[in-house]
Amino acid sequence: MTLLKLSGLSKSFGDTKVLKSIDLELKSQELLAVLGSSGAGKSTLLRLIAGFERPTSGSMTLNGTEISNSNKVLAPDKRSIGIVPQDAALFPHLSVAQNIGFGLSKWSTGEKAARLKHLLELVELTDFADARPESLSGGQAQRVALARALAPRPALVLMDEPFSALDAELRARLRLDIRKILLAEGATAVLVTHDQEEALSLADRVAVLRDGQIGQIGTPTDIYNSPIDIGIATFLGDSVLVEGQVVKGKISTALGLLNPMGKVLDGDKGLTAIRYENFYLLPNPGGEGEVVGQVFFGHDAVLEVKIGDLVIRARSNGPFAPEVGMRVKVWVRGSVNFYAN
Amino acid sequence: MRRPPFLVVVLSLGATLFASLPIGYLAIRFIEGLDRALDEVFRLRTLELLGNTGLLVLSVSISAFVIGFSQAWLTTRSNIRFASVFAVLAALPLAIPSYVMALGYISVFPTFSGFFASWLVLTLATSPYVFLAVTASLVRVDTAGEEVARSLGFGRLSVLRKITWPQVAPAATASVLLVALYTLSEFGAIAILRYDTFTRAIFNAYRGSFDRTAAAALAIILLLITLLVIWLERRYRGANLLSSRALGKRVRVDLGRWSWVALPILVLVAALGVGLPIVSLTIWSIQGGSSINWGQLLEALWGSFSLAGLAGVIIGIFATAIALWAVRYRTKLGAFIETLAWATHALPAIVVGLALVFFGANITPWIYQTTWLLLIGYLILFLPNALAAISSPIARVPRSLEDLSQSLGTPANRTLFKIVLPIAMPGIIAGMALVSLTVLKELPATLLLRPTGVDTLATRLWTATETLSYSQAAPYAMLLIMLAGLPALALNAQARKAISEVREK
Repeated sequence: MTLLKLSGLSKSFGDTKVLKSIDLELKSQELLAVLGSSGAGKSTLLRLIAGFERPTSGSMTLNGTEISNSNKVLAPDKRSIGIVPQDAALFPHLSVAQNIGFGLSKWSTGEKAARLKHLLELVELTDFADARPESLSGGQAQRVALARALAPRPALVLMDEPFSALDAELRARLRLDIRKILLAEGATAVLVTHDQEEALSLADRVAVLRDGQIGQIGTPTDIYNSPIDIGIATFLGDSVLVEGQVVKGKISTALGLLNPMGKVLDGDKGLTAIRYENFYLLPNPGGEGEVVGQVFFGHDAVLEVKIGDLVIRARSNGPFAPEVGMRVKVWVRGSVNFYAN
Repeated sequence: MRRPPFLVVVLSLGATLFASLPIGYLAIRFIEGLDRALDEVFRLRTLELLGNTGLLVLSVSISAFVIGFSQAWLTTRSNIRFASVFAVLAALPLAIPSYVMALGYISVFPTFSGFFASWLVLTLATSPYVFLAVTASLVRVDTAGEEVARSLGFGRLSVLRKITWPQVAPAATASVLLVALYTLSEFGAIAILRYDTFTRAIFNAYRGSFDRTAAAALAIILLLITLLVIWLERRYRGANLLSSRALGKRVRVDLGRWSWVALPILVLVAALGVGLPIVSLTIWSIQGGSSINWGQLLEALWGSFSLAGLAGVIIGIFATAIALWAVRYRTKLGAFIETLAWATHALPAIVVGLALVFFGANITPWIYQTTWLLLIGYLILFLPNALAAISSPIARVPRSLEDLSQSLGTPANRTLFKIVLPIAMPGIIAGMALVSLTVLKELPATLLLRPTGVDTLATRLWTATETLSYSQAAPYAMLLIMLAGLPALALNAQARKAISEVREK
């Protein structure tokens, strides 16, 4: 069932068009990630949904009721849409429990106590109920911020780059925690982020936002495997672009004949996007490629391989990667995306 | 533990001795003549003064809070136009000594006197303290938290009450108590506007009779009330939950039609607090221009500058010694000395002046009626100001530089003079300048303690106002604003910070 529906939603600040006619539908209990680089309009989209900004045009409905259009905006406090800001923004003068219980002022004492207890357990902070916000770590503060937003059982929760202030290890852990908490609460959520990995690993669906428009929307696998254009292909993951032409249903490139994903028209010229991990390198003294550079990441390594005039980058298993100077044989595994000019 | 150099110890102890002796002496005198003093205290007149003073302090505190808070909120948190201009205008009354502002009013409206007049002038003169304190904390409140509260179902006003206010409250409360302290100890403006409070009664009792017990008794009562307010102010200061720097991203509330209410109010406050006094004094100065006694003016200028300069340097040296001891050596005794030096903060100048008159006349007649006694008065009054300005540059010198210097073979005490002081010197000099400018504006203690024949800009202004010759007083008033007020405002770190933080978009 559709919970939130945006129709032709646009927002300008002065002459700057930040969002251009956004159409989006969100189903109940879905987790949608809005992925975009900085300046793409992600935060503005969230602020429009939360009711802090008025759309320039277009409208928005929640549970079938119109909550925003260019004339009238339902106040944020009347929407039942919770927010989790970037830096948690806990109320510094209240304890952890008071922060979480802040939105429960209209609940009866008994219900409130039960809800608080449940949420504290859910975010694993029962021992910190009376702690002051400044004594919490970054991850704990984010969990409190999420519990605070979820407490009054809002129709929707909006999360604005909730992991950006945390270090990498904590980020990965908290991602799992938050996914678990949202599922346990049966919550519907929109997460905006600039981190592809975060969007792909956390969300049910991903919407790629660029220049104020939704470039593509779909499940993480769809979006990663079949980006609709070069821009999204390169934005979503590391890709090598190679020129090619369609010949009898295959793509003829400097790397040989490749299998296209989806339909292609014979004779079309264009670019092929090959993900780093689609390359397979085998050390071989007679191979056509020469390893000319290596960046080692531990679990894997990215190798620069020169094949004739072409230099490609390929991901390889870290400990077993060919070394610089070695000759290698290069294969492309699976199908590749082809974008006609 | 490292021990501070001998010189530092001597200067620090000397300063605190100077600061505490006269007040102590006043208390002793009061207790010795307890019978007569108590008679004085329990007169109907005292009750009336208490009522008058209380009414004024209470009403000024409330109105200064309302005005200062509104100015701060409008300039930092709303989309009002010309926000940074209004921020400057809101701080500008700090450049006008309150008795100069009173002169500006009474010279235009000769019947403007009594409670309402004193309330208006003191409200305008003190609301900048609230404005600065509230601005500084408002820009540190995370607006994301306020939005979270909105999303949890709270309206604008309840968010202001439940989320914003608790975070601003400590600073706002402290600033209101500061306003109360200033009103309590204000002498010049209240005397010019002829409203009977303790300070005016003390001055009149001192001048009107040879029996000074009455003056001493009233001074002690005022001292006790002041100490109570100071104690309250200490309690509210410090509790601080806010981040130490301003948060760049600030969401401004769209005022919509309300800006047509807010804008005229801001303009009116600026017109009353800055415009009217300056315009009236300018006109009076021009009108009296031809009859200015240039000799007198130059003499007063020299008197002001020499006194203020000397006081700035002396107080600065004492403050540096205390700051060095307290900040760089961190011994218990050093911290205690610092607390003691702070204790005189916000004591009414009229009480300090009176205490020194008694002390000088009875105990140290050889400095009575000399500049030295006046300088001691300034030291008592402004040592806390100097400490506030000088402690932070001294604290900011990295400890590692001191360690480095010692590792290169320079003994600790020599390091102090070769490393710490030279690095902190610009800040120390700025602190001295700030104290000098404050001394330049001082009125009540100067009136009581100046040697016969010594005149300053402030005392000349006072004498001319007493004889209602406003055109004679106006040029002194303008000089005081330009020479002392504006530079002091420019040196006021808090004001500069507040204004730049309002500007940040």
